[in-house]
Amino acid sequence: MTETIKLSGTDAAAYQDALQKGLIVDQLEVVLDGYKLNYDLQLAAGECLAIQGRSGVGKSTLLHTLAGFEQARSGRVLWNGEDLLRLPAHQRPVSMLFQEHNLFEHLSVMTNLKLGFSEPPSRAQFEEAADALDVADQLDKFPTELSGGQRQRIGLIRTLLRPEPLILLDEPFAELDQHTRHKAALWTAVTARSQGKTLILVTHQDEDAERIADRTLELTYKG
Amino acid sequence: MSALTDSRWLKPAVLFAYSLILLITALAFYGLIGFDGASLQTGLLTDPYILQILSFSLEQAGLSALISVALALPIARALHFMPQLWAKRAFLSLCLLSFVMPTLVLITGLVSLLGRSGIITPLLPDNFNLYGLNGILIAHVYLNTPLAVRVLSQQMGHIPDTSWRLAQQLRLSRWQQFTHVEWPAIKPSLLMLLGFIFVLCFNSFAVVLALGGGPGSTTLEVAIYQALKYDFNLSEALTLAWLQFTLAGLIFALIARMGKLNWLSADTASQRWQPGLGRNSARFHLGLYYLSWLLLLLPLLALLPTVMRVDLAKLDLPDLVSAAGYSLLLGFAAALLAMLLSWLLLLPIRSASLQHQENRRILLQWLATHTLVAPAMVLSTGLYILLLPRIDLEQWGIFWLVLINSVLLLPFVIAQLKPRVLQFDQQYGRLSANLGLSPLEQFRVIWPFIRPVAKGSFALALLLALGDVAVFSIFGDNNTMTLPWLIYGYAGSYRMAEAALASLLLLTICALLVFFFERHQTRNPNRSADNHTDQPGS
Repeated sequence: MTETIKLSGTDAAAYQDALQKGLIVDQLEVVLDGYKLNYDLQLAAGECLAIQGRSGVGKSTLLHTLAGFEQARSGRVLWNGEDLLRLPAHQRPVSMLFQEHNLFEHLSVMTNLKLGFSEPPSRAQFEEAADALDVADQLDKFPTELSGGQRQRIGLIRTLLRPEPLILLDEPFAELDQHTRHKAALWTAVTARSQGKTLILVTHQDEDAERIADRTLELTYKG
Repeated sequence: MSALTDSRWLKPAVLFAYSLILLITALAFYGLIGFDGASLQTGLLTDPYILQILSFSLEQAGLSALISVALALPIARALHFMPQLWAKRAFLSLCLLSFVMPTLVLITGLVSLLGRSGIITPLLPDNFNLYGLNGILIAHVYLNTPLAVRVLSQQMGHIPDTSWRLAQQLRLSRWQQFTHVEWPAIKPSLLMLLGFIFVLCFNSFAVVLALGGGPGSTTLEVAIYQALKYDFNLSEALTLAWLQFTLAGLIFALIARMGKLNWLSADTASQRWQPGLGRNSARFHLGLYYLSWLLLLLPLLALLPTVMRVDLAKLDLPDLVSAAGYSLLLGFAAALLAMLLSWLLLLPIRSASLQHQENRRILLQWLATHTLVAPAMVLSTGLYILLLPRIDLEQWGIFWLVLINSVLLLPFVIAQLKPRVLQFDQQYGRLSANLGLSPLEQFRVIWPFIRPVAKGSFALALLLALGDVAVFSIFGDNNTMTLPWLIYGYAGSYRMAEAALASLLLLTICALLVFFFERHQTRNPNRSADNHTDQPGS
């Protein structure tokens, strides 16, 4: 697997320091259905990275491994110097948006939003975010009453507002129309930056990467 | 996912639950071994009398399983391919009632119907005898065919519409549709049903005790009871118990390997399209459906004329009411404890399943549900012998009665709860882990999802506990009767009218519980849960 990295202009020393506090994926090897996947990347704290590549190349697998849902065969995943591979999924400093099943279907949207916080944000904060993403009138409904795009935006709000510093988004705008996609991407970029989140975004759309990411990494098949 | 048991108090609680159920079995066997130098007598295994009992146990269990499944298949097909059948839901409820009906109620009904002076006995051949293999098979088939009907019709409901549409597009014949669409869908359930019903009949106690006739129609379970009660030959009881435990255990292990048997889940699949039956086939299936109604209702209706003969002046109504109350009280306690234990026992099974540790899951599942194969009579008697010199059983008997009953209920409760919690884990396991939910939060999130199944499981456990005879026969108190024990007492003193009345009362309680069970199995807290009830892979 090779990578193409476009670095933004950043002060070298500060960037090195941020890299140490950020995410280092070091010779990570994951075996999925008999296929070996290898990853090496570095991400400074507070940086936003977009990952692109053909279907099946291992983009989602990387996110799932970082979040603790796939086992790594070897390598290290350092966050602020600590190896995340030693921690179970629920103890990792990761907030992830899955491609699907981000909401408990049997709980209301607001109940879903409040999950995963030791001290949930106020309703007003949720409403503000929901307003920005055009889902403010959906908060008291059940997920089954929402469209796929609306569910995805609700999931996005919770993922971004949670306290974990490392945000993983797996094709977050796949079900959105062009206008809503633009709005959601901008909200994501602003929220992530204002809260100092480190963010990895998997997307097939170049414009998503341009709106949100500091740089883009393209995963490819080796050889 | 370790988050499931990752809390200060959950780990010890889970460990306690596993230790408790294993300790009960171990102590029961220890009780038998430790008393008066009882030991395994391997020589008994070649004794012609024991071989005869073993052979009969296997024969009746094998025949019961085969006949039950063979009868259930066409009935299940009728239910599936004729969705507009009259009173289909009521029929499925009756099936459930038949499966969980206390055995003594059925036996009273069968004796009223087919006994020596039964209602339809004059219509039967002169040499017909309810006692012996005939009666045992009739009772076992009556109890288990409805179970198989529910499982198979539910399984057929899982066949996607697209398969049927494709079969039509390809112009497959009815036989080809059966071999290419139906058979692959029901084959795993058929095999597991055969195994499951075999184990239930192999361990059958009350049916064989009441309808078995002499040494030629005795099973291992009854032989254990007789060795304990009449001969007080503990070595023989111990040897027979091990034999039964080993054989049933092997079959049960085979079932566990075969996968999941979601055998009582509500049939909520709404088939939007499936092929109909040909005219003759439809007539045959319709006839079979109405015949099944009749056969299932007959033993219950047969209670009524016998009840009419009750001499109300001599009837001890307070006894009847207090027995009903006591049965419900014991049943509630046993069902509650069984639910709590099941929840704890399921936690590591769910972890193993999430981590794809198949062998660990099977082992834990076997341990959690091993009481399906441990003879109830052995558990009760072994513990009784062990405890008698150490504990005041007059005072503490009720505690052990509840505890042993709840442990015996575990296989049924776990079989009910497991598919739903595993479905939750499959759908939301990663989300729960990613959100870092505490155990309390996890429970609050999963509860609305499993609530209908949990309530149904509780009702099922209560129903099964209400029918207990074996454990009560050992730990029960002669001054405070349960309803089944009262029926047994009435029948034993040839007071058939009183036995029928008590049976009718017990049946009514069971029918109300079945109503409750069905209501909660099919009613979900919101439509989203409905959407996922039949989509374990979604």
